[in-house]
Amino acid sequence: MAGQNVISAEKLKELQYRMNLEAKRKRQVKSGLLICGNVIFALMILAPLLYAVSIAFMPSSELFTLDLNLVPKEPTLNNFIQALQRIPLIRFVLNSFLVAGLITIGQIISCSLAAFSLHFLDFKGKNVVFMLIMATMMLPGEATIISNYLTISGWGWLDTYQALIVPYLTSAMGIFLFRQFFQSFPMSLYESAKLDGCGNLRFIISILLPLMKSAIGAMAVYTFINAWNMYMWPLLVTGSDSMRTVQIGIGMLDSVDSQSLTLMVAGVVMIIIPSISIFIVGQKQLIKGMFSGAVKG
Amino acid sequence: MKKKQSFLKKLEPYGFLLPCLAVFAVFLFYPFAKTIYLSLFKTNKMGQAKIFVGAGNYLDLLKSDSFYNSLVVTVIFVIIVVFISMTLGLIGAVLCNRTFPGIRFFSTAYALPMAIASASAAMIFKIMLHPSVGIINKLLGLDINWVSDNRYALICVAVLTGWLNSGINFLYFSAGLSNIDDSIYERASVDGANAVQKFFRLTIPNLEPIIFYTLVVDIIQAFQSFGQVKILTQGGPGESTNLIVYSIYRDAFFNYRFGTAAAESIILFLIIMCLTLIMFKVEGKGKGGN
Amino acid sequence: MKKRLTAAVMAAMLAVTAFTGCGGNSGNVTEDTTAEDSAKSENSAAVAGDVDMNGTEITFWHAMGGVNGEAMEYLVDQFNKENEYGIKVVSEYQGSYDDALNKLKSAQLGNMGADLVQVYDIGTRFMIDSDWIIPIQDFMDKDDYKVNLEENIAAYYTVNNELYSMPFNSSTPILYYNADMFKAAGIDAAPATFNEIEKISDALKTKGGAKEVISLGIYGWFFEQFLCKQGLNYADNGNGRESAATAVEFDSNGGALQILEAWKKLYDEGIAPNVGRGGDAGLADFSSGKAAITLGSTASLKQILEDVNGKFEVGTAYFPATGDDDKGGVSIGGASLWALDNGDDKKAAATWEFIKFLVSAESQAYWNAQTGYFPVTTDAYNEEIFKNNIAEYPQFQTAIDQLHDSAPQYAGALLSVFSEARATVETEIENMLNGKQTPEEAVEKMASSINAAIEDYNLVNEE
Repeated sequence: MAGQNVISAEKLKELQYRMNLEAKRKRQVKSGLLICGNVIFALMILAPLLYAVSIAFMPSSELFTLDLNLVPKEPTLNNFIQALQRIPLIRFVLNSFLVAGLITIGQIISCSLAAFSLHFLDFKGKNVVFMLIMATMMLPGEATIISNYLTISGWGWLDTYQALIVPYLTSAMGIFLFRQFFQSFPMSLYESAKLDGCGNLRFIISILLPLMKSAIGAMAVYTFINAWNMYMWPLLVTGSDSMRTVQIGIGMLDSVDSQSLTLMVAGVVMIIIPSISIFIVGQKQLIKGMFSGAVKG
Repeated sequence: MKKKQSFLKKLEPYGFLLPCLAVFAVFLFYPFAKTIYLSLFKTNKMGQAKIFVGAGNYLDLLKSDSFYNSLVVTVIFVIIVVFISMTLGLIGAVLCNRTFPGIRFFSTAYALPMAIASASAAMIFKIMLHPSVGIINKLLGLDINWVSDNRYALICVAVLTGWLNSGINFLYFSAGLSNIDDSIYERASVDGANAVQKFFRLTIPNLEPIIFYTLVVDIIQAFQSFGQVKILTQGGPGESTNLIVYSIYRDAFFNYRFGTAAAESIILFLIIMCLTLIMFKVEGKGKGGN
Repeated sequence: MKKRLTAAVMAAMLAVTAFTGCGGNSGNVTEDTTAEDSAKSENSAAVAGDVDMNGTEITFWHAMGGVNGEAMEYLVDQFNKENEYGIKVVSEYQGSYDDALNKLKSAQLGNMGADLVQVYDIGTRFMIDSDWIIPIQDFMDKDDYKVNLEENIAAYYTVNNELYSMPFNSSTPILYYNADMFKAAGIDAAPATFNEIEKISDALKTKGGAKEVISLGIYGWFFEQFLCKQGLNYADNGNGRESAATAVEFDSNGGALQILEAWKKLYDEGIAPNVGRGGDAGLADFSSGKAAITLGSTASLKQILEDVNGKFEVGTAYFPATGDDDKGGVSIGGASLWALDNGDDKKAAATWEFIKFLVSAESQAYWNAQTGYFPVTTDAYNEEIFKNNIAEYPQFQTAIDQLHDSAPQYAGALLSVFSEARATVETEIENMLNGKQTPEEAVEKMASSINAAIEDYNLVNEE
């Protein structure tokens, strides 16, 4: 054992070099495998979307064939054009943006205020209130939708923007998210501000708000997408084209006795685009905000 | 004077809660109470309480085969959905755990399903699963009528739902993985553990809190799946995909039996609540109390 | 954690009991309003001579999407431009038939009202019983209005010799076949019964190249039509036409069993596989060239031709019967127009003018050419646009002949819980095809389930 271990400095250098090379190659193979795995998995996850895009460009006769039809042979924009002509899609998109946007802003304000109160302030019944709010997450939407309809119609709000927006101006999920986020702040932050004579509202606006940016971003993306995808409630309370949102509007491409699948898919592709874009733009915020402490508890 | 001020001070916390609680009260607590009220009545075609039946609607449900079927179907559905969405999310998160060129693209891809509305996704799946023109049968060389065969219909709806929910799970798991300290892996490597061992002995236990959280959220969400059933199967074939939520919708807005629908939704609420309580209890025990 | 949650549950329960009281109150309030509603329902069928309608705006709710919706919009625009009274019609698409009717039901509680609404065939009994409407007959009598309505279409909407709603978009089911396959298999005549389909199935498969003989969607409407073909009643009290039905009759008169046995036989022999549920479930297999035959609404003709796109020739024939000796006819499906009673003479008169416009020969010929629904008035046959259309789509002639060959007594049933009944029928047929039950058991289950629904409905909706 002792005799073998006599290695010259040069040899040692060479060995080191070779080992480095080996490690490098190993790393390369590893990262190659990783990319391969990712490509396969991503294809799997994205397959339905890619296929939908493909169908949207097909003339309807190409869909109705027994041959393999992965990509359109004669791609056409016709489905998109017809879909746009048949329904006022632009108006629906604007409606959805307005509704989803206002819901998002409303939820951020109401939820951050509530979460602030629940975390930083002390008051009687705090835990009860918090648990009551959390319990609403377990309520199936169907359990309340009928009565809500009657409430809204009693106020003469049917077929208005406020009917679409007001019931969704707060959410238990949002309160939970902000509250968890606040837990990563030291309580002393609030206490020292208080000592400096800073009121609660000013504390929220000038100290808390800048710190909450990532949580707000996460909340905004999450809320916006959910609001964009609302289905049952808008179906019930809207009655005219001027108020309809995209998810309902898209149903207008469907028809009892004349169903054109390619047209519908073209419509679906068009309304997915805005929500996906928002998602891609906001994804970084979403991840950052959602997990800076949010799920550790 | 001072007393008055402190009284106002005491009210302040409630003031911050007011906007939230007002909305909750009007659009959640009040209608929920009303739903309980309706569940004690038979309702007429306008959905108005007409004949008081007490627990009659509940008893009818508990005697009905169709309702038991809904419960069983829902449970199976939830299990499949949770399994698929967690598996997909976890695979994606593991694949994106170490950085490599193009990671941004892939992580966006894995999270993307969360941005898609269930109704839109269902329309796409409907075409994909079509027995003669759908791409699935064509690629696999099969001749299966996926959504009309009671052996496959539920699985199809569940796979679709699992896919939709996998996006947010990917985000949860990614965050969880990035919170695990790399040094424990290094130590394990020195001890000679291979990748699989490391995954099951280190990754999973370290992810446990997040897996638990995800499980709770996933179960609650899976219970409330609706749009995909309405578009893909309408509860059929037979009643093999008649999830509770869908059966509530049918009774309320199709058969106009609000009383029955209300009773069903109360039962659903109780089930979800019990499940959540049980899960928290189990979790508490696992951690040795607290 | 545990303690907190338990506290939350307790709190929730408390809150709930506290609110229940309020729930009770508001329930009473809504009941009061309906009492008022029904009290005012002394019909007011005003017509043009009675009032000045200048500047009157009426709201029209319809359920026509896609191509049909476009044609509908065209007609509305046309009326707004042409009418001499200064009436403005605002049309609003309300989603599927189910959605439109549901919205109407809830709108009667709220404030989102319509003056004219399109309701599907099976909502007829509900509308008649609703007290919300002005029967079309009242307008016709008052206005001394004559229109040559298709007898077999008008029959559906006529109850106790009174026309309640104006037929608008009517269709019948027909049989579509792949004429190329039939030619290759050496078959000249389209099958008229299930037995005939069975007989030609081998030839269609071996010589005709069909991968599937008939693509038969599980659709409650087809079941009803098979009953009409037998000339049997669906429900008692004269098919629910003399007065509201109290129970189904298809179990006791044997009609349902014949249908299900014939259906099951074709299924067991691999002739009619399960292609899914709903009216359009069977169409894709046919359009893609897989199935040799399919059943569908006449109104689907245009879409089928577009989807086939000349890959093969599409033939049409009468809707088949399930038994060899069936002597009945087909009834119609689709929807009709209901005038709602909003207690406003001007609006009622304006609505009536608009209805007259919609069923005019010119409008109906246009409507038929654009959509594939029947022209509801025979006068439309003389219009140029109709003649051109039938020359271009000779397949449509079958539909018209079939309608004329039927008779008013096969008008089909009226049932207050028809949408539910239809879904029940579909569910039980599915269970039967999937081997869960015999045809006998399926019929029994259908009958008991629908009877229970009818009983329930009659109980809570008694005046």
